[in-house]
Amino acid sequence: MKTNNFLKAPLTINWAVTNRCNFKCRHCYSRTDPTQELDSGTLFACIEKVISAGVLSVNFGGGEPLLRNELLEISAFSADRGLRVSMNSNGYLIDRKRALDLKAAGFSKVGISLDSHVPEVHDNFRGIRGSHKKAISALTHLAGAGIKTSISTVICKINHQSIEELTEFAGRHGVHQLNFHNFKCSGLGYSNKDELDLSSQEWKEFYIKAMKTKQEVKGLEISLDDPIIASLGMKTETDSFVKGSVCGKLSLNIKSNGDITPCGFIPIVIGNIVSDELKQIWDKSPVLERMRNKKPTGKCSSCKSYEDCLGGCSARALALTGDFNNPDPHCWVHEP
Amino acid sequence: MRAFRNPDVLWREEDESKAQAYEELEKGEDVEAIGTSVLFSDGVMLSLNLIATEIWKLCDGRDVNEIIADLTGRFEVDPDVLSKDATTFLSELKQKGFIYYED
Repeated sequence: MKTNNFLKAPLTINWAVTNRCNFKCRHCYSRTDPTQELDSGTLFACIEKVISAGVLSVNFGGGEPLLRNELLEISAFSADRGLRVSMNSNGYLIDRKRALDLKAAGFSKVGISLDSHVPEVHDNFRGIRGSHKKAISALTHLAGAGIKTSISTVICKINHQSIEELTEFAGRHGVHQLNFHNFKCSGLGYSNKDELDLSSQEWKEFYIKAMKTKQEVKGLEISLDDPIIASLGMKTETDSFVKGSVCGKLSLNIKSNGDITPCGFIPIVIGNIVSDELKQIWDKSPVLERMRNKKPTGKCSSCKSYEDCLGGCSARALALTGDFNNPDPHCWVHEP
Repeated sequence: MRAFRNPDVLWREEDESKAQAYEELEKGEDVEAIGTSVLFSDGVMLSLNLIATEIWKLCDGRDVNEIIADLTGRFEVDPDVLSKDATTFLSELKQKGFIYYED
């Protein structure tokens, strides 16, 4: 009784409510993004717009969303109108009171960024001493307030061999989900890619181990969002619904100034939520059309996994080759 | 046992696809492959066709027999086939945590 179909609107909006940040992460994708912020009145009108289009959930990000003064009001406004509200945060500003306030404002889930189980490694990578301790504290306070938590880890040189330790760490701190994100090479991630990104072979080895851990671990959901795992016979969480990158198929990204992009890592502006209709962009954007209908090129042309991975991560292909239709440079599959 | 939708599951009907499905149904076409709703929860997603969507919507405290009786009154389907398919589908929803049962 299940089918595949095309959606009338994104299911989720990833929404940067501010681009300000209190951290100095070496892989940050958004430091070069616009600093302009929509005022609350405009933002509320835009939230109404996405609800009217049929969007079901919104994930606030940035920057650090907690630096947006009106975040609680924005969340409450969204949740009161039926949106499922979540957030990605570095956790630094979340104490017990803030966690309770977030719960009261309708947050159902908060993801905390954590790059290593080793405090010094995390702090050094994030550029803020004590940030690891604060992140753990945030997880505790959020859980205490009744908010589901997840840990988001961007896989790179500092952590790709720490799967077991990160998994044990996540389990010990009672998180619902551990998200292993692929390294996107956007923003500072591009500037620092030679130092931080893995080789294709390292990516392959990481995913084999991560999938094994995912299958073995109990009571913790491990999420792998990289479509190139298809060549290993593995599937992403959304594989049964859409193939390849989910950007522009299940979700869209809105920047702090209202600009709409297919995802936070693809700096192609396809509209602005203040002046444009979301449905019009969703249905008519030539960029989205092209992303949804990628054609195999280069080594993808003869790859038997293409129909499942669709060339891998579009953002990474764009960042490293200039065209999101090109094969994902992280892919380890060789040309025949 | 009465079936209930898990309130944590986000879902919506796809209006255009639903209209298309009814249009095709009027013509006597097979609409099994046309998705008319989408469900998702914690990264698990399902796209449901017309009948499956109606079953999902009827998970409001009815038991399986009530759900099947409702559908056989509205759609031209073999009751035995529908009963088998609906039972399998509800089992899958239960296994994914999308519905729960109460006595």
